[in-house]
Amino acid sequence: MINFILRRVVTSVVLLIIISMVTFGVFFMVPKLAGTNPAELYVGKSATPADVAATARKLGLDKPIYVQYGEFMKGLVAGREYDNGPDKTHCAAPCFGYSFRNDRPVWPLLLDRLPVTISLTVGAAIIWLLGGVLAGVISALRRGSVLDRIVMVVALAGVSLPIYFTGLLAQLFFVHNLHWFKGGEYVNFADDPFGWANKLFLGWVTLALLYAATYARLTRAQMLETVSEDYIRTARAKGLRERVVVGKHAMRSVLTPIVTIFGLDLGAALGGAILTESVFSLPGIGRLSIDAVNTKDLPVVLGVTLFGAMFIVLANFLVDIVYAVIDPRVRLS
Amino acid sequence: MRIKRGAVVAGTVALALGLSACGGGGSSSDNASKGASGYNAGVHGIVNPSEKKGGTLRFGYTSDVDSLDPTRIYYASGQNFMRAFYNRTLLTPASKPGADGLILEPDMAEVLPEISADKLTYTFKLKKGLKFEDGTPVTSKDVKYGIERSFATDVLSGGPPYLKDMLDQGQNYPGPYKDTDPEKLGLKSVQTPDDSTIVFKLAAPFSDFPYLLVMAAGAVPKAKDTGEKYTNHPVSTGPYMVEKFDPGKKLTMVRNPNWDPATDKTRKALPDRIEMTLQMNADELDKQLLDGTLDLDFGQTGVQQAAQAKILLDPNLKKNADAPNNGAIRYAALSTQVAPFDNVHCRKAVQYATDKTAIQTARGGSENGGDIAVNMLPPNIGGHDPKLDPYNTKSGKPQVDKAKEELKLCGKPNGFETKIAVRNKGKEPKMAEALQQSLAAVGIKATIDQSDASLYFRSTIGSPANVHSKGYGIMVAGWLADFPTGYGYLDVLVDGRLILPSGNNNYEELNDPEINSLIDQAKAEPDAKKAQAIWSQINAKVMDTASLVPFVYEKAMNYRNPRLTNVFQDQYWGEWSFGQLGVSDGK
Amino acid sequence: MTLGPVTSSTDLTTPAEEEASTVTDGKKIEGRSLGRIAWTRLKRDKVALTGGGIIIFLILVAIFAPVLNKLFGHPVNEFHQDKIDPNLGGIPPIGTWGGISTDFLLGVQPVTGRDLFSQIIYGAQTSLLIALLATLLAVMIGIVVGITAGFFGGWIDSLFSRFMDLILAFPLILFAIALISVLPPTYWYRVTVIVLIIGGFSWPYIGRIVRGQTLSLREREFVEAARSIGAGNFRIIFRELLPNLAAPILVYSTLIIPTNILFEAALSFLGVGVPSPTPSWGRLLSDAVNYYEYDPMYMVVPGTAIFITVLAFNLFGDGLRDALDPKSNR
Repeated sequence: MINFILRRVVTSVVLLIIISMVTFGVFFMVPKLAGTNPAELYVGKSATPADVAATARKLGLDKPIYVQYGEFMKGLVAGREYDNGPDKTHCAAPCFGYSFRNDRPVWPLLLDRLPVTISLTVGAAIIWLLGGVLAGVISALRRGSVLDRIVMVVALAGVSLPIYFTGLLAQLFFVHNLHWFKGGEYVNFADDPFGWANKLFLGWVTLALLYAATYARLTRAQMLETVSEDYIRTARAKGLRERVVVGKHAMRSVLTPIVTIFGLDLGAALGGAILTESVFSLPGIGRLSIDAVNTKDLPVVLGVTLFGAMFIVLANFLVDIVYAVIDPRVRLS
Repeated sequence: MRIKRGAVVAGTVALALGLSACGGGGSSSDNASKGASGYNAGVHGIVNPSEKKGGTLRFGYTSDVDSLDPTRIYYASGQNFMRAFYNRTLLTPASKPGADGLILEPDMAEVLPEISADKLTYTFKLKKGLKFEDGTPVTSKDVKYGIERSFATDVLSGGPPYLKDMLDQGQNYPGPYKDTDPEKLGLKSVQTPDDSTIVFKLAAPFSDFPYLLVMAAGAVPKAKDTGEKYTNHPVSTGPYMVEKFDPGKKLTMVRNPNWDPATDKTRKALPDRIEMTLQMNADELDKQLLDGTLDLDFGQTGVQQAAQAKILLDPNLKKNADAPNNGAIRYAALSTQVAPFDNVHCRKAVQYATDKTAIQTARGGSENGGDIAVNMLPPNIGGHDPKLDPYNTKSGKPQVDKAKEELKLCGKPNGFETKIAVRNKGKEPKMAEALQQSLAAVGIKATIDQSDASLYFRSTIGSPANVHSKGYGIMVAGWLADFPTGYGYLDVLVDGRLILPSGNNNYEELNDPEINSLIDQAKAEPDAKKAQAIWSQINAKVMDTASLVPFVYEKAMNYRNPRLTNVFQDQYWGEWSFGQLGVSDGK
Repeated sequence: MTLGPVTSSTDLTTPAEEEASTVTDGKKIEGRSLGRIAWTRLKRDKVALTGGGIIIFLILVAIFAPVLNKLFGHPVNEFHQDKIDPNLGGIPPIGTWGGISTDFLLGVQPVTGRDLFSQIIYGAQTSLLIALLATLLAVMIGIVVGITAGFFGGWIDSLFSRFMDLILAFPLILFAIALISVLPPTYWYRVTVIVLIIGGFSWPYIGRIVRGQTLSLREREFVEAARSIGAGNFRIIFRELLPNLAAPILVYSTLIIPTNILFEAALSFLGVGVPSPTPSWGRLLSDAVNYYEYDPMYMVVPGTAIFITVLAFNLFGDGLRDALDPKSNR
């Protein structure tokens, strides 16, 4: 087992390093290919070529890309210093770069926004997991019934609705017409738990709808497959009550793949629910990245991308481990 | 949507925005005493005049502030804000309604500067009793140091470039951080013979020089200069100082105990605290303005279209809104170096064919978009002439027949193909589409070439070489003067000797010897009235070349919380005068 | 990422399950004409047929947009100043329900007064063109990589599999907007880049499935048989494997089209889609965000267009899967 975990750790780290190289390369090379000098983005409109060159030098943009990448990785592990006029700015490890637009290291910026994204995705995840699985189970048990059909139609509609449409509709009805929710700026849970939930509720529900639909369909298919397995028939034949059969025996095998996917989806969503955060104007990682893209704040864009990738890789890693615990055969492969 | 608003704001950055101002518009001192109310009351008079102190003045902003470092601030609202609250300068605009607001009065200077007979030396004496927020006295060396910082563009980018251009005089001064002088006061053109005297030496006479000092940092103590991080806590000389600045979130300011009101006759300093919520969602900001949570929008760029409809449809809200001309103009430049616009008649065809009403609507309509523009000097700049309308476009309607006539004269009776360059953000693409549609009606087939807003003015249309190679016949642009004179407004747009390889503002590459020589006359003219008359003449000549198509004189509709006191439009900034505001309920 | 479901639906196919399903699949395929069985099943599935009908309708609309527009619409980017009140900045349009009338079937766009009907039918062109091109690209890369990995196995398989993991680990939307926003925003540039990005990031979904199927197929008797009579790799791949892979490829291609449509719309919504004035549903929606309180129809119309299109592809794809996969039809 330890051997297996170690192997997965190594793979994950290698994956992250490759992602960082690709992302770094893309963000620092592509503007050059398109004929813009990244340094020009930081200088004023009337800056002279000498100013541009000076800025490039200060940001290290004049060095070959592999040197820049090396410095970036070194900063990630050990922190780094940025030349800042009369004194140096220290960017402590993990230094994801320094945002010259915000005059702050990227890492604290990310940490600032993280609670919002966690509040949004974890809240939504609870709803989509419970709602989706419940709907799927009911649907499977009542297969062919009107209820089943309704659940499946809603589920298919849910998968087909873009969140930037449902989100707007929800706001139109519940915020502007019915005034059930206040809209308004995000508040911290610690400051005002009710305001926090009020602001997040519509986001939770719309984001959850998107995923719950998938989970319902998945649970239903898995459940239908499971209940026809021999061991379930045996359980039934033993005279166990239906609730025990479904709740104890069938659910176990239904939940295994669901948990896997849940881990991956949650990992991806934590990396920044960009669309949800834009529609509901939540100041999370997703909105930070949009702002950064709009202001061409490359270090922040790079930081957010790596951060998001980290969540996905981490989720993959955890899912693998959980899987290995459940099913020992995986460890051998 | 934050994206949208952010985009609009980002769009204005590139405009080299500073201040705007005026010579027109009568003095409104009669209104001042009794106060004005209703829609646009703050444009013509003072709303809720009061001397009541106390309470918290609450700003909201859709973006982060560019910087709080006075050397780096270039936006009009940033300039307005720092001048009102924490950055005193040698001279400052008088903060009065109407044309009086355009006059510069001594601020840190004892009196107006002594100017030598050859108009090359400006000598200022500092007031006594000026202190920084930590109690140390302000000396002329701090003032000089503040100016020197604007040379260190490698560390402190983005600020106004004027003083650097004007004062370097061949020295190649690298800024104080690389200065070899032990005191870091190596700039030769500025001298500080004693702690209360500062002397500026110019290379050539320049009557607008005092305006440049208004845009710069007032005084920066070398011991407290933290370079790029100075934005986190600029050391105040004004009535307020930074309590806490949390970038991207919130700025709070409290009273500065070391500010002596006896040394400052400009600022009212009524509220006890100033707060600014940053990075707000644009619609959320409007909502909080309308429900009274916030007092005003820091950006002063006007409410969103949703709130605009709400305000205009509800008289109770409308009476708390002002939609002044903010001094900006939206226009298109026709490249005189790109065929067929090298022919004046083809340019005139565009002047006639343009549907200015459609463009006005795309910008937000007559209230929040702007007034139809008929020439290149907006109404609040001295020298504006509303009757100067050589292409008869006041109605905003296209004149297809006239346009076709010009096309014939140009030798292109069936029209021609060209390219429209435009930024890809905010309302800009829709303006270009409106223009494209109206040109199509006379046979001019224009394709729209959108490009990245952040480099648009610097290297897309700001680089003549790029304009030629891409074949941009029409370039959509906007302009807001850095200081309120004809020179500050029009010079860089039309002066043929200022065509730069990058960051050019003379997009149309107009280089007319007659215009150039008139500019020289106006620059050296010490009498403001006479200078205005010359600028008026230059404006007419420019319109005759048909190389600039004015669309609208921009208006921005802002909502003021009814509890705000002393609200009036400061024509110097094209915005409400932040430094005079108070709150009536003391909260 | 919020576009999530694709991750879910494909990660479902763990290798074990794939192999199980191919066994049954394979028998059917060998026994009788797959096409005919599938068609019989599909004909019975009214829901899927409705989906298919809508898809055909939408494709026809996109192809004949110019004709339809001539009959029922107005020149696509023509301004109609008389349909809006310029004093209010053109919001909301004059008339009820976003200015819907017999002349303007779906109402008008605020501010410009453009005909929304024309915008929608030309928007269908943009949406379908990009989604289909991207899907085509994804399927092609997916087949090549999937077959190579599955057929040759060994280190090639590990390499390609890790590569697919790598691509799936990218925070896709963010990466896409960041990348697109640094490139010039001209029409062909954008279309090309969007197609490359959507296609370039969605092929692993196809690739994984093809790989899994190939893995199991290459051990089967008919492949062995072909090999024993001296068929080369090339021949085995093209004559034996590909025909047997057609069914799953078809199903999963149909199922990634709706995701790709959503992706394109999302990019436009975030301001990095095709540049204006080329009509795009996603951009209409992002424009509508500014006015939806006053002109909800302007949001509802493009939103519904996206919804119906995506739903139709999902319904049809589901039906197709059921028809081609006997197991799911129990």
